Amino acid sequence: MANIKNILIVSFVIFSCIFTPVICAAAENEIRIADKTGDWGHPSPYLAYGRGPGYLRMHFIFDTLVWKNETSDFVPLLAENWEYIAEEEAYVFNLVKNAKWHDGEPITANDIVFTIEYMKEHPYCWVVLDSVDRGEAVDDNTVKIYMSSTYAPFMEDIGGTMPILPEHIWKNIDNPIDYTELDAFIGSGPLKYVDFNKEHGTYRYEAFDEYYLGRPEVDQLIYVKTGDAQMALQRGEVDLASIKPEMAETLTKEGFVVIGGPHYWNKKLMINHNTEPLDNVTFRQALAYAIDQEEFVDKSLRGYGIPASYGLISSESKWASPNVPAYPYNPDKAKEMIESLGYKLNNGMFIKDSEPLEFTVLVSMISVGGQSTPDRDGEILKNQLEKIGIGVDLISLETKIIDQKVINWEFDLAISGHGGIGGDPKIIYDKVIQVPGTKVNPNTARYDKCEELNDLINDLLHEMDPVKRQEVVFEAQNVYARELPAISLYYPTSYYAYNPDAGVDWFYTIGGVSKGIPIPQNKLSLLVLNTNKGDIGDIVSGTQTPMQTENPAQATPLMPFLAVFAIFAAFYIKQYGGNRKQ
Amino acid sequence: MKWNRKAKMVTVYLFTIIFLVFLNFLLPRLLPGDAILSMYSGQEIIITEQMYNELVILHGLDKPLYEQFLIYLIQLAHGDLGYSYVFHASTTDMILAALPWTMLLVVTSFVLSAIAGIILGVESSWRRGGKFDRSLLVFMLFIDGIPALAIGIIFLSVFSLKFGWFPTAGAMTAYSNAEGIAHIKDVLIHLVLPLSTLTLSQVPGDYLLVRNSMLLTIREPFILTARAKGIKERRIKYFHAARNAFLPFFTRIGIRLTYVLTGVLFIETIFAYPGLGFLTYEAISNRDLPLIQGILVVSVLLVLMVNIIIDLFYKKIDPRIEYAH
Repeated sequence: MANIKNILIVSFVIFSCIFTPVICAAAENEIRIADKTGDWGHPSPYLAYGRGPGYLRMHFIFDTLVWKNETSDFVPLLAENWEYIAEEEAYVFNLVKNAKWHDGEPITANDIVFTIEYMKEHPYCWVVLDSVDRGEAVDDNTVKIYMSSTYAPFMEDIGGTMPILPEHIWKNIDNPIDYTELDAFIGSGPLKYVDFNKEHGTYRYEAFDEYYLGRPEVDQLIYVKTGDAQMALQRGEVDLASIKPEMAETLTKEGFVVIGGPHYWNKKLMINHNTEPLDNVTFRQALAYAIDQEEFVDKSLRGYGIPASYGLISSESKWASPNVPAYPYNPDKAKEMIESLGYKLNNGMFIKDSEPLEFTVLVSMISVGGQSTPDRDGEILKNQLEKIGIGVDLISLETKIIDQKVINWEFDLAISGHGGIGGDPKIIYDKVIQVPGTKVNPNTARYDKCEELNDLINDLLHEMDPVKRQEVVFEAQNVYARELPAISLYYPTSYYAYNPDAGVDWFYTIGGVSKGIPIPQNKLSLLVLNTNKGDIGDIVSGTQTPMQTENPAQATPLMPFLAVFAIFAAFYIKQYGGNRKQ
Repeated sequence: MKWNRKAKMVTVYLFTIIFLVFLNFLLPRLLPGDAILSMYSGQEIIITEQMYNELVILHGLDKPLYEQFLIYLIQLAHGDLGYSYVFHASTTDMILAALPWTMLLVVTSFVLSAIAGIILGVESSWRRGGKFDRSLLVFMLFIDGIPALAIGIIFLSVFSLKFGWFPTAGAMTAYSNAEGIAHIKDVLIHLVLPLSTLTLSQVPGDYLLVRNSMLLTIREPFILTARAKGIKERRIKYFHAARNAFLPFFTRIGIRLTYVLTGVLFIETIFAYPGLGFLTYEAISNRDLPLIQGILVVSVLLVLMVNIIIDLFYKKIDPRIEYAH
């Protein structure tokens, strides 16, 4: 009996220890952001993974020359002002005078020149510097960047994306992707690197007191890995998290601010335009008429999204053409157009030369921002096409295998998707033709059969006059929608929610952060100067009522302890009673 | 004879390891598609020819297959499981960092579920047909039918979200500044939900096994003899019957370990627990070949190691084996 008593006492002590509150000293004004993946690489340019979240982990520490604010206008970061000198085909940037690196060294024009040279020698996945000839330091605070060819997206692609590296550190680094010493994280951004824990997928930053645009509003910024980000937000473990669309209303009622994302990611139908009859423009247009975009939105996205523009550029972009040709759902018209190409309906199916009209459609779980999303696109497409008399053989494969099949032209139709359609219209160029000197991207149509489109996309890359460029961009979309090298289907709506009491008003950036990252974690949210908090994103709720969040450290789980204790007690009494009877 | 048997055993294990290592090297390479391109295909970045060529050389993918295998073997012999190109880190380091968390979860749950399974199984079989036995059996079959994933989600919704007793994810509070006892408490409180889920999903298997083998044992004549000798009930239950009933349970430990390792994959993913299971999930979703290979090698070695230990200890627990040879 003494044994059982001992067990009871020991278990009482152990459980008391476990369940008494964990006391932790929380830092003042600390912001926590939830992330399901956690590890996005060390927050340094060459070490962060080449995806949006990886870039964002780095962008707090490393500043660029300019930056996009909420309304997608370029605002000064390291460059106070700038101009393009057409005669010299060069950009001149005047740098801010008081800017310092996190180690206290001043930032000079030489650092910018060095960064260009360094990134030409060691290619950096976010920036292609083929259009830049060289950089030249005019004086300590003025840098001139000479172009090798006119390049209209320069400000977004390079000026607003290329993180500036400190020359005094990086000049000694020969292999940037292996370099993880502490000084690899010395930048000029509003936050300083404190820690990155690969194992736990956590990041910690602290405010840079001497930041040239003023000290950020937060003292600490922490990324934590969570299983269910939304649950972590509701429990008060984090202050910003992505949420499921269905939860928007519930969270609003709980006092969180829910922001609906702009539509810069599209699901699209890739078309093998090298095979008959998909090589025919009329046939592709017939396909577009046969496809009911609304049905995709209703069934695949449960209504949380909008039908896509046929001109590739997001219909919400400031570059969206006002008169893109549209293909409202019209199965009869689709049938007529297919018949005009010599096909005959036989038992509800189209045939030509006794061959039935059939396609294989490749589908997979498409990864959006690193997360695979299940959908019903394949089935919906199959039903819609079969309804007008086109046979469909649906093949579901792993995403990477589909990508490879698309690259090798081993497909008829494939469901694919990509982002970046809200930023610079250069995306039309990237997604229509194979960019010379680059590997094939499975989302690129590789369509060069239309001279008119070829000329337009070439012009939109090199036209430096903003008004003329806008016209070219509009026209390119119109021609794209007419030619249909691929058919955009829909834009899903993503939602984030944040705790308004935490002190940061997060926002979506029009066109996405930097080169189009559709995540509401723009570093300008942390700065006081942030004046451009306009009307981007659909703010679902703006209730500023204080939230009833319970500090997890203060919640004493008394009940489980009592339950465990009761079980032990019951066991003890049962044993004790049993023995007495014997 | 004795040495021959040992040599035979060692040879069998050695061949198993070599075969598995070879398979482990080959299988990921049989996947269709260009490894480099598929690694980056989901990204909104542009891969130039120069960058592509550098990546191919960096990962040794430019060498012929046999050379890649030789390099792989040499590295393996040095304890180097390769370099993860997705996570820019040594695979060995990543696995070694994740392994202790998984071991904490797996070993604790293994022990807890075994204790619960044995006690409940013995008590249940002893009262065969009674109210306690019948209700426990139904309850266990019910729990057995629920996937670990579902148990985890229920626990999370109830104990974490509804009552707020436990954190939703992770193995400890990030940057809590807790040290010493406070840190241990923090780790333990994070352990409760994943551990309970894993344990609860394991208990029914253990319980059913012990109960069944107990039912066969308690019919044996030696139990009757023990009773006739006037030995106390509890002693007969645990020292006479359970000890014999324990044998099939012991032999199944190796097999159970593989189940636990599979179970841990889902549980760690739901609770974002930084162990081997979550790492496997990350590796597969990113198509990180070296990491997948490394995890498989470590898992295979773990299971084989446990099997060797069981083989060696079995005759100590059941001396009849020795006589049988």
